Amino acid sequence: MSRRFIVEPRGLASWWLKLVIPIGSVLAAMVLGAAFLALTGNDWIEVYQKMADAAFGSGRGVAETLVSATPLILTGVAAAVAFKMLVWNIGGEGQLIFGAIMAAGVGIWLSESTPAVIAVVVVVAAGAVGGAFWASLSAVPKVYLGTNEIITTLMLNFIALNLMQYLVLGSSSPWRDPEATQFPQGRPIIENARIPEFFHRLDWGLFVAIGVAVAAWFVISKTRSGFEYRIVGNSFDTARYAGIRVPRKVLGTFLASGAAAGLAGSILVAGILGKMDPRSLDLGLGFTGIIVAALARLNPIAIIPVAVLMGALNNAGPSLQSIGVPDATVQILQGAILIFAVAGEFLILNRIRRPDPTAGEAKATAEAQTA
Amino acid sequence: MNESVLMLTLMAGIGLGTPLVFGTVGEILTERSGILNLGVQGMMIFGAVMGFWATFVTGNLWLGVLASLVAGAAMSLIHAFNSVTLRVSQIVSGLALTIFGTGVAVYIGKAGSDPLIGQPSKAVFEPILPEALSDIPIIGPLIFGHDAIIYLSWAMVAAASYYLFRTRPGLTLRAVGEDPASAEAAGINVSRVRYVHVMVGGALAGLGGAYFSLALVPSWQDNPIGQAGWISIALVILASWRPWRALWVAYIFGIAGRLNFTFQTLEINVPATLLNMLPFLLAIIAMIVLTSGKRARFLGAPAALGIPYFREER
Repeated sequence: MSRRFIVEPRGLASWWLKLVIPIGSVLAAMVLGAAFLALTGNDWIEVYQKMADAAFGSGRGVAETLVSATPLILTGVAAAVAFKMLVWNIGGEGQLIFGAIMAAGVGIWLSESTPAVIAVVVVVAAGAVGGAFWASLSAVPKVYLGTNEIITTLMLNFIALNLMQYLVLGSSSPWRDPEATQFPQGRPIIENARIPEFFHRLDWGLFVAIGVAVAAWFVISKTRSGFEYRIVGNSFDTARYAGIRVPRKVLGTFLASGAAAGLAGSILVAGILGKMDPRSLDLGLGFTGIIVAALARLNPIAIIPVAVLMGALNNAGPSLQSIGVPDATVQILQGAILIFAVAGEFLILNRIRRPDPTAGEAKATAEAQTA
Repeated sequence: MNESVLMLTLMAGIGLGTPLVFGTVGEILTERSGILNLGVQGMMIFGAVMGFWATFVTGNLWLGVLASLVAGAAMSLIHAFNSVTLRVSQIVSGLALTIFGTGVAVYIGKAGSDPLIGQPSKAVFEPILPEALSDIPIIGPLIFGHDAIIYLSWAMVAAASYYLFRTRPGLTLRAVGEDPASAEAAGINVSRVRYVHVMVGGALAGLGGAYFSLALVPSWQDNPIGQAGWISIALVILASWRPWRALWVAYIFGIAGRLNFTFQTLEINVPATLLNMLPFLLAIIAMIVLTSGKRARFLGAPAALGIPYFREER
């Protein structure tokens, strides 16, 4: 039995491979995107130049790119910490939205005279609590009943989305602005709860997001709790033998993941939006966070630059319409990046080599001798 | 309730349920092989645009159907390669398919100097049986008043159920989804079975998408399919991986989707957004009540669902 290639699991992949594969994924997606653009009669060089210019060509462009990147860092961290522990939380979308609902609710309810520092902290924290609560709806059944979290987190995304739309578009709830009679809108949160801007529309929420990513990295790689977390992520059985309380660990991770996604929602509400705006919160930021996490190979620090890249793509989309190119180009690129990144994981986990010819001969000799 | 309102609701519910029938049965066949494909939404919307395009160019509905089948299968091939050959995360790969497929479909709809967007379809599926049959009260329209695709969906459900539970290849498929290692030992080519059924699932999802753009809303919009792909994934659980049950739950959700309109005509005020939550809410409740712990086996979830199969290298 001879084969041309042998595929075998690789022990530890080298650091350069872990760097080359994600970069290669982005390049491969860009080549595919260029082919697609060319086939549909567009000048791909012009398109890419336009995108780079919109994303990084001016101070304002850079600010908008970072504004787009802020929630993606958080939804990326949310996906990464969960996936690392084999908790398939694909409900970042719903947790973000429920975080926004909680943050807006608290931000509307607070008295106008609440001191700014307290108001901002309370509103932003409310989002984290909301996200963790929404995650608990999947986490508790998973841990105590064994319910598969993939489907429950997924379904809860749509429940949260419809709930948000109901609160603003479908009812006269406290979330809806009573003064907006023409078209339903979210009610603005109190002025003191708004996160201050410091560079165009960019606000301090960016540093909260970066702080969360760094904290996640620190806890996972530098603490005893993080060490246990990594053991659970490798094998539930090993962890159980080592005396780690696995259910509690899984529950904690799930809730932390939800809290990170919820923070993305509250930072949007307290930051650039100032209210719960159903259209601006329904952009697939939770799903894009999964792209970010996959491309960053679940490393919280790597999530920061990857989120900036994805934020740049999101920010560049609308500019394409001015040159007559559909902004869906961005979605094609993001989808392709994820396809290549997930496929590239194969090369990181496995090694492909030529069969060793001498091994075959040795076996043949051994067989001949036994015969 | 007024009888004509009831009939309208039932007929529209069957129409709205039809894409869900294709999406759900397709995903059932895929999941029965042990592969979870979360890319139904992407395959469906890609099928919708390619089916619309083919009919737009040729004026022929059946070429549109063919194009949607091929488009869905082609999109699913990416997932089959990732999950069967490369054995990487099925969850992430499926999501990638949804993002990619949606992007490609929206792009195709807007590309070119004379884009598809906003255009009406060149041909539309309409009832095929003689009108006299529909004059029979109640069962007339419900049984004889449909277009060809709905009859095709009934035949497809019957065929899928027969295939799954009464044929040798169906038994093989279930074996692969339950215990790939034993199936392999019995001489079954696990990879081939999985490839085939992922692609059949993709083709059916593509056709379900085309039913939106060629029958329900015969024009091209950015997203004619709403969340039908995601709903299909939920319905697989409610149908407990069985084709006939998929038909019934799809119709129930089709009717639920139509209730907004019915309530409006009856002047009952129930917000649309709350009704839209229903399929997802029911799926979660069913999931928690029926699939937890030991009952999961009773319900019929394939034991090897979502688990990559590593064949022992010799």
